[in-house]
Amino acid sequence: MADTASGGSGTRSGSKHATTPADNYYLARRRTLQVVVSSLLTEAGFESAEKAAVETLTEMLQSYISEIGRSAKSYCEHTARTQPTLSDIVVTLVEMAPVTNQPVTPKALTAGQNKPHPSHIPGHFPEFPDPHTYIKTPTYREPVSDYQVLREKAASQRRDVERALTRFMAKTGETQSLFKDDVSTFPLIAARPFTVPYLTALLPSELEMQQMEETDSSEQDDQTDTENLPLHMSTDDSGPEKENASVLQQNTSLSGSRNGEENVIDNPYLRPVKKPKIRRKK
Amino acid sequence: MNRKKGDKGFESPRPYKLTHQVVCINNINFQRKSVVGYVELTIFPTVANLNRIKLNSKQCRIYRVRVNDLEAAFIYNDPTLEVCHHESKQRNLNYFSNAYAAAVSAVDPDAGNGELCIKVPSELWKHVDELKVLKVHINFSLDQPKGGLHFVVPNMEGSMAERGAHVFSCGYQNSTRFWFPCVDSYSELCTWKLEYTVDAAMVAVSNGDLVETVYTHDMRKKTFHYMLTIPTAASNISLAIGPFEILVDPYMHEVTHFCLPQLLPLLKHTTSYLHEVFEFYEEILTCRYPYSCFKTVFIDEAYVEVAAYASMSIFSTNLLHSAMIIDETPLTRRCLAQALAQQFFGCFISRMSWSDEWVLKGISGYIYGLWMKKTFGVNEYRHWIKQELDQIVAYELKTGGVLLHPIFGGGKEKDNPASHLHFSIKHPHTLSWEYYTMFQCKAHLVMRLIENRISMEFMLQVFNKLLSLASTASSQKFQSHMWSQMLVSTSGFLKSISNVSGKDIQPLIKQWVDQSGVVKFYGSFAFNRKRNVLELEIKQDYTSPGTQKYVGPLKVTVQELDGSFNHTLQIEENSLKHDIPCHSKSRRNKKKKIPLMNGEEVDMDLSAMDADSPLLWIRIDPDMSVLRKVEFEQSDFMWQYQLRYERDVVAQEEAILALEKFPTPASRLALTDILEQEQCFYRVRMLACFCLAKIANSMVSTWTGPPAMKSLFTRMFCCKTCPNIVKTNNFMNFQSYFLQKTMPVAMALLRDVHNLCPKEVLMFILDLIKYNDNRKNKFSDNYYRAELIDALANSVTPAVSVNNEVRTLDNLNPDVRLILEEITRFLNMEKLLPSYRHTITVSCLKAIRVLQKNGHVPSDPALFKSYAEYGHFIDVRIAALEAVVDYTKVDRSYEELQWLLTMVQNDPVPYIRHKILDMLTKNPPFTKNMESPLCNEALVDQLWKLMNSGTSHDWRLRCGAVDLYFTLFGLSRPSCLPLPELGLVLNLKEKKAVLNPTIIPESVASNQEPVNSTNNHGQSVGFQNTFSNSQEEEEIDMDTVHDSQAFIYHHLNMLERPSTPGTSKEQSSGEMNMHPVSAAPLSVFSKESNSSKHSDHHHHHHHEHKKKKKKHKHKHKHKHKHDNKEKEKDPFAFSNSPASARSIRSPSLSD
Repeated sequence: MADTASGGSGTRSGSKHATTPADNYYLARRRTLQVVVSSLLTEAGFESAEKAAVETLTEMLQSYISEIGRSAKSYCEHTARTQPTLSDIVVTLVEMAPVTNQPVTPKALTAGQNKPHPSHIPGHFPEFPDPHTYIKTPTYREPVSDYQVLREKAASQRRDVERALTRFMAKTGETQSLFKDDVSTFPLIAARPFTVPYLTALLPSELEMQQMEETDSSEQDDQTDTENLPLHMSTDDSGPEKENASVLQQNTSLSGSRNGEENVIDNPYLRPVKKPKIRRKK
Repeated sequence: MNRKKGDKGFESPRPYKLTHQVVCINNINFQRKSVVGYVELTIFPTVANLNRIKLNSKQCRIYRVRVNDLEAAFIYNDPTLEVCHHESKQRNLNYFSNAYAAAVSAVDPDAGNGELCIKVPSELWKHVDELKVLKVHINFSLDQPKGGLHFVVPNMEGSMAERGAHVFSCGYQNSTRFWFPCVDSYSELCTWKLEYTVDAAMVAVSNGDLVETVYTHDMRKKTFHYMLTIPTAASNISLAIGPFEILVDPYMHEVTHFCLPQLLPLLKHTTSYLHEVFEFYEEILTCRYPYSCFKTVFIDEAYVEVAAYASMSIFSTNLLHSAMIIDETPLTRRCLAQALAQQFFGCFISRMSWSDEWVLKGISGYIYGLWMKKTFGVNEYRHWIKQELDQIVAYELKTGGVLLHPIFGGGKEKDNPASHLHFSIKHPHTLSWEYYTMFQCKAHLVMRLIENRISMEFMLQVFNKLLSLASTASSQKFQSHMWSQMLVSTSGFLKSISNVSGKDIQPLIKQWVDQSGVVKFYGSFAFNRKRNVLELEIKQDYTSPGTQKYVGPLKVTVQELDGSFNHTLQIEENSLKHDIPCHSKSRRNKKKKIPLMNGEEVDMDLSAMDADSPLLWIRIDPDMSVLRKVEFEQSDFMWQYQLRYERDVVAQEEAILALEKFPTPASRLALTDILEQEQCFYRVRMLACFCLAKIANSMVSTWTGPPAMKSLFTRMFCCKTCPNIVKTNNFMNFQSYFLQKTMPVAMALLRDVHNLCPKEVLMFILDLIKYNDNRKNKFSDNYYRAELIDALANSVTPAVSVNNEVRTLDNLNPDVRLILEEITRFLNMEKLLPSYRHTITVSCLKAIRVLQKNGHVPSDPALFKSYAEYGHFIDVRIAALEAVVDYTKVDRSYEELQWLLTMVQNDPVPYIRHKILDMLTKNPPFTKNMESPLCNEALVDQLWKLMNSGTSHDWRLRCGAVDLYFTLFGLSRPSCLPLPELGLVLNLKEKKAVLNPTIIPESVASNQEPVNSTNNHGQSVGFQNTFSNSQEEEEIDMDTVHDSQAFIYHHLNMLERPSTPGTSKEQSSGEMNMHPVSAAPLSVFSKESNSSKHSDHHHHHHHEHKKKKKKHKHKHKHKHKHDNKEKEKDPFAFSNSPASARSIRSPSLSD
């Protein structure tokens, strides 16, 4: 039955090409099913049908039968058999429950009587939950909430993780030792030079970076209160330039004469690089 | 240096004036570390017969020189490449220092000298006589420069830009000659045009305004065009090229910051503060920042942390930090502020001569101090002043004095103001680095003394006047005589002060500027109850080295029951005792509060006082208005009162130091109270921690309660509910952060009766480490954790060793095992989560060395050597190197010493090379008069070679080598050298017998030459080297035929010559570089007139022989004159060259 499925996809792509025996079987089955569908349709009183409609129905029928087969096979294999029996088919059919039957919602387990609505609650509101949902079951031990224990736990946990991690690193890589006679008690991961040593030394780790972002944003919040808004603004933004200019006016430091008019930062390092002049005279 | 510094202003030592210089670097090759370019100097002759132009140039290979488009001959001679020629057995430092000073003099631009001498073509002589402009065009290249220009090229895949390769100029004082030919003086100002063609992915940052950036035709490179219209000295020209990230300062768009790739976020944070420094300086100086733009560049492998140049500063990239870092922030801001102060004084205003350097360093240091006061507060400022004062005092007492304004008379040895030093202070390039650091420190302290005298207002007016004069002068075009207004001189500065303030500060200048030394006071007192008078005795020590006698006013503050009173005593020659009337009667009125100096009134518990005396405490020179050390005696309770109630942090710190000598419960209480007082300055509290530890150790038998500071720390930093657990970190309050960091370090110094660190303290520190939790902290805890490791190291005491057993794991002390466990974990975690600046690795390495030294762990340098390798972060390397240096000393290891010295010669980072020598000097493997297996002839030779020729590319390094040599062997002949075989040397030529010069330290090397002669070389094995040299020269000297042969020979040699003569080993000692026009040597050769060719040549020989036979010298001079009668005014004798200067000065025994 699995063959059918794979055969089906095979034909779709290569139907117009030379046929193989598998294709032939497939076409034969298909034709048979088409005949079945057509006769059922005639039985049902149809005089004619569009080809597409017949094809669709054929497809549905084929799928349904395939599914019964696949499912039955599964049940059969589930019980460690290779030969399907009738019961497999029955279970399958039950499972695939004909669509027409409305599923019966199983009655929820009830325990005791639900509390009736008080008078101020309209009757169409849902009922109160079952009484057992109100029952408390105390655990037999208090959860650890003692600060000291928590801190101790956290500390030793971290320490264990660190030790395990570094020991692992030391075991898997090169090591150095402080004692010539013993290389395992205090294994030191060997010092390895960097190609660009300042990067690891200066840049915060990712963990710290996260913390820093939080810090930064909180700083920024502080600054919205004051006038120093553009502190963290990148300079290639052209939007808040006016604020920039006003800050510059306040700090009369450098831009004495040019304030106000300055809307675009004129920094020589931001200017575009010029194209070379056409062939200078030599 | 016969310069007059009168009212007329500046007189140039050169026979011409430089007005403009073009520097064009066409090509920079990072792979080969080479640079190709040209310079063009526009000069105006100031004398009619100018025929030679002397310029500075080192390392550069010069291809071609043209003057006004005419090919010009030139000679290159740099006596500093090899200070003492010929393998003399002279190995004493006196001899070397004199020769080195003479060599530096011989090329000193401030004396009109230079390494490069260009002959003005004869066709232009007429032109010159009319004093018309000359354009000197020099094509040069640099190949693998060892100094001046530093290449950083990481060894990895990718293009140079992707690798973050960069290059920058660097050096100590005027070092620009290392990367292009120039007049490398701070006093020769001119305007500049700078052009750099670099890879399109790179940025070239240099001085002045970036006019434009243009692609080359192939669009693969860009040319950066800079114009610097403010007249600037070549020594203030700088360059940095690299794939920099660019940040325009959001507050000041004229300010641009540059950093290496990936560091932009750090750059943003680090420089976000700079505008405030700008505002501050502009406000106090009432003067705009003098340049139209400012650039900061942060680079790796920096020579110094901060280097200021005209309109730009070069910083170490390691100053960059994120917002999470506490400790680095003030340090970096201080560096930025220092750099900016030097923009005004040092770059914009330059100095007339080396002896005026103190004015610039003084002013920039002084205004930087004002910035400190404003930014960090008065307490921090006073603490800093005290610290600087203590430093300079200690240094001067140790070495014998720092002279700010050296004036040199007729060049007689007797007049040498620095005869106590092992180096000459006549030139910046001969100074020990430590001396120079202390020099700067003293300069700003003296400026502060001047401020005390004339008031800050006048002081700032003087600065403003200097700046406005300079700024007017700078806008004058081509009126070069005006430009000298931009140079500051000592006399000009003093004149300005007297004009502005109307005060005579001459005595002050004489005392602190024209004279070296500090004052040493000893004070004690007695209270005379009958007369109600305080009898104060103040003695001085002015005979020890580094001291001087002080005469003049001295302020004394006496805190009495009735209040605080200032008295000004006159310190005179013979009066030691001073009677000071007291205001209060000794009866005390207990109800009254006691008024303090600042007007505050406080309640005091007066029970500790002497019932008969109204004196609470006495302070001598409380404002630090004398450069002094005070040792004052007063009783312990007075120090305790001073600590508790005096509001000046300096007084508090002095009291803390004094209390170390009084280990009593009362001292303990006073210190504990200070520790707990949150209003108290945090540095005072930190200092109190260490004092408390010392007192506790002295009181160990009577000490009660828990170990010192433990309960205090618990109360301040531990959880209320569980006092053994420290709170999770929150460093928002910096004061308590610093205290939290320091207290464990101090506690670890506690010792019990067995002189061991109490177990309780060790466990306490281990718990701090265990429970350290930084998750909720806004700040990084790397410094805190590092100090906890320092604390562990402090707790280590010497191992009890039985019969020198070998240290193994089995006999490891259990406490040490715990410590090692922590160190191992920390050091390993650093590999996974490295801390900022690897502070934790640094502390771990130090701790491991402590364990080794105390005999817990086998002493072994292998670990440190691996961390010291190139490629580790610089702080880590230095910590590791320090351990190796210490190991070398303790284990007397020849192998490690050699390893260190090899690194001094070969390490790619100049700072590391310098630092190793510095550390070896501070922690020497042996000193003179000490028996050591390390002290042998080979080492003497090696170090001698290092300072004589191995370090010619770096002034600082050479002076470092000199310092080390001095520490190891002293001034005279090293004791480990074998005695010379002959006591007498026969001088065959002069038919005299002289004492062998090798055993006379002061004698002159030339004395040994007479033994040599071409006929009998091989006579003495020891002199063979010299022989071969002199023989070669002898031949050249024969006659004109030989002359020209040798000349051609030289020419041919020249083409294959390495560009850096000093670095080449094959180069014979006396050889001189005469660079002809390399393009067509022969044609030029024929073009040149015979006489001029000869003159060049003879000059050449003349120089080589200057320290040789007098006879020859004489002959040369004669020839010379003969050949160049008409034109040669200056016979072109290198009278300043080392040997000649020496022979003039020092008396030769043979004469």
